[in-house]
Amino acid sequence: MTMPKQTFVRPTEPRKARSNVVWTIFFKEFREIFRDRRTVLSVIIGPLIVTPGIFALLGIAIGKKVEAAKLEVYKVGIVAPQASPRIADALGKTPGLEIQTVTAADAAKQIKERKLSAAAVLPVDAEAKIAAGNAVPVQILEDAGSETSRGAVGRIQDSLSHLGTQLITGRLRDNNLPADYATPFVVTEKPIEQGGSTAMMILSQMLPYILILSAFTGAIYAAFDQVAGEKERGTLETLLVSPASRRDIVLGKFGAVVGVCLISSVLAIIGFMLPFISHLKVFDFLTQGNIHLQPMAIGVILLVLLPLSVLFAGLLLAVSTFARNQKEAQTYLGMLFPLIAIPSVLSMVIGDNAGMGVALIPILNASIIIKQALNGTYNLTFILVAFGVSAAYAAFALLCATYLFQKESVLIKA
Amino acid sequence: MIEVEHLSKNFEDKKRGIVRAVDDVSFSCQPGEIFGLLGPNGAGKTTTLRMLATILEPSSGTARINGFDVRRQAQEVRRSIGYLSGSTALYERLTAREMVTYFGSLYGLTASDIESRISEIFNELDMNEFADSRCDKLSTGQKQRVSIARTIIHRPPVLFFDEPTNGLDIITARTIIRFIRRCRNEGRTVVFSTHIMSEVETLCDRIAIVYRGQIAAVGSLEELRDRTGKQAFEQVFLRLIGEEDEEDRDGGKSDDSRNGSLINSTEAAVSAVSTVREDRR
Repeated sequence: MTMPKQTFVRPTEPRKARSNVVWTIFFKEFREIFRDRRTVLSVIIGPLIVTPGIFALLGIAIGKKVEAAKLEVYKVGIVAPQASPRIADALGKTPGLEIQTVTAADAAKQIKERKLSAAAVLPVDAEAKIAAGNAVPVQILEDAGSETSRGAVGRIQDSLSHLGTQLITGRLRDNNLPADYATPFVVTEKPIEQGGSTAMMILSQMLPYILILSAFTGAIYAAFDQVAGEKERGTLETLLVSPASRRDIVLGKFGAVVGVCLISSVLAIIGFMLPFISHLKVFDFLTQGNIHLQPMAIGVILLVLLPLSVLFAGLLLAVSTFARNQKEAQTYLGMLFPLIAIPSVLSMVIGDNAGMGVALIPILNASIIIKQALNGTYNLTFILVAFGVSAAYAAFALLCATYLFQKESVLIKA
Repeated sequence: MIEVEHLSKNFEDKKRGIVRAVDDVSFSCQPGEIFGLLGPNGAGKTTTLRMLATILEPSSGTARINGFDVRRQAQEVRRSIGYLSGSTALYERLTAREMVTYFGSLYGLTASDIESRISEIFNELDMNEFADSRCDKLSTGQKQRVSIARTIIHRPPVLFFDEPTNGLDIITARTIIRFIRRCRNEGRTVVFSTHIMSEVETLCDRIAIVYRGQIAAVGSLEELRDRTGKQAFEQVFLRLIGEEDEEDRDGGKSDDSRNGSLINSTEAAVSAVSTVREDRR
């Protein structure tokens, strides 16, 4: 092996503008980030495969349970069946109920021992009360902590309700009264077009939280690898002796982390929407009703995510720059994480008609706007104030990261 | 050319207060010369080189590299230098070609310049076989060749080597030593820092003995020997820093077998120098 022959050249002025140096760093960082398995897992595989996969498994489990509950035959006790043969008969003919006569003293004991799922206690004058047109007090003994017991109670109630309807119909007929005499109101529900639904309600509750956490967690590995990781591996010194200024370096790295935050949150939206748009049976438990996402809602969500991503990128880069290695950065993350998670969780309990004061609280303001957008309401003043405030916080975070990157005491090991 | 004038660097230490890592250091180095900075670990060699490479800002004093001031023209300085040290690592998730291309872009070379330089350097350094392999899959020797390619992609007239053979095996260390000598022969200005005396004896035209942040003496090997009246370089060094032991003072014994590292040098580094000596012959 021989050494390359060299000819001297006086260093020439760079042909590319300074912005090209930032882009060069940005593209290199971006390429490297997505070659990191940790980032691929957290940004791509997680939201697109793991999240829908968990929902699907949950759907399969719930579906199986519902099917099993439908087929399950409950052993139910009846105390004093002789008091009303027609109630005993109705319960005995109810599909999925196996009736067993028990004494009042035994009923509770057998339910506790799981020999019976529930028991109906009939009053001794039940039949007389029915004949007199009076209400019959039926006490149902149950184990409130047992799903089986709750299922059995449901079937007893359905059976009694069915028998009750038959009795009322008979009484009305006997008294020559119309069939709807005892039905003063007929109430129906009709969802308005493009209105909310159970699915939309779940989306508006969960999506702000998921989006914000995805944007943040998706960028953690990328940001920590960018500076703390480079310090640890010794590549930062290689970069610092290049003509790129420290501001160029931090801007290039910062852009890459912002990009990861945005990609992470967009993929989280797609991953979370998959169950709703796929119409697969396994997602039925989650997607009861249609969802109507207006293009404007998507636009507003992306608009809100932009300053949020900038804020997260700035915060994470500042932590990454301050830390001596990735392990130390993870320790600082433990302190930072609640500051991100708590406001995003709060959006679940705060209504989408929050006051202007909320617009000043970073992260929470973004959650509320996402919630409003999903519900089809837009408060322009709130959005503008929140956007401005988030942009200011984001600029501050970027300034902190840039300031730290200029400090040789945090950047270079002495 | 390098001109260093009264360069000093202070660090703040929580326990010790202000620590003067480099104290009023001055020297110069001409094109076609290898200038050695020899001193034990913690003497201030790396800090000096980091100031010359503009990674650290001097607390006082200044230096001119290839005519550019390290304080006021940091970017021009960085464009003029190549910097290779034991701690300048590679981006493991990039390939060798991507790594060198990246730095070529940072140095402002055009895509066609980079392509032709890579072709030239990769041929010369026999790197084509692993040009498109990720750096984390390369052997230490291959990694070091990528580092060399990264260091010279922009044809720097000034080169800094900070303990470049640390922890390397014989073959890889020999590649580095040959490369440094080649740089000198091509008329480049080279500053080489080490704690291994034999490397200095083998490579350097002039030597600065660095101790506790200061330069204890500067001169060629012969000048330093004449000045101390000692032949064995270890004794020359010890006398110059005022740490000469009693046995040496009384008998002035010369013992070439002790001519090794200032600290416990790695076997690899010593072996590397032995190999270089063979090459010289």
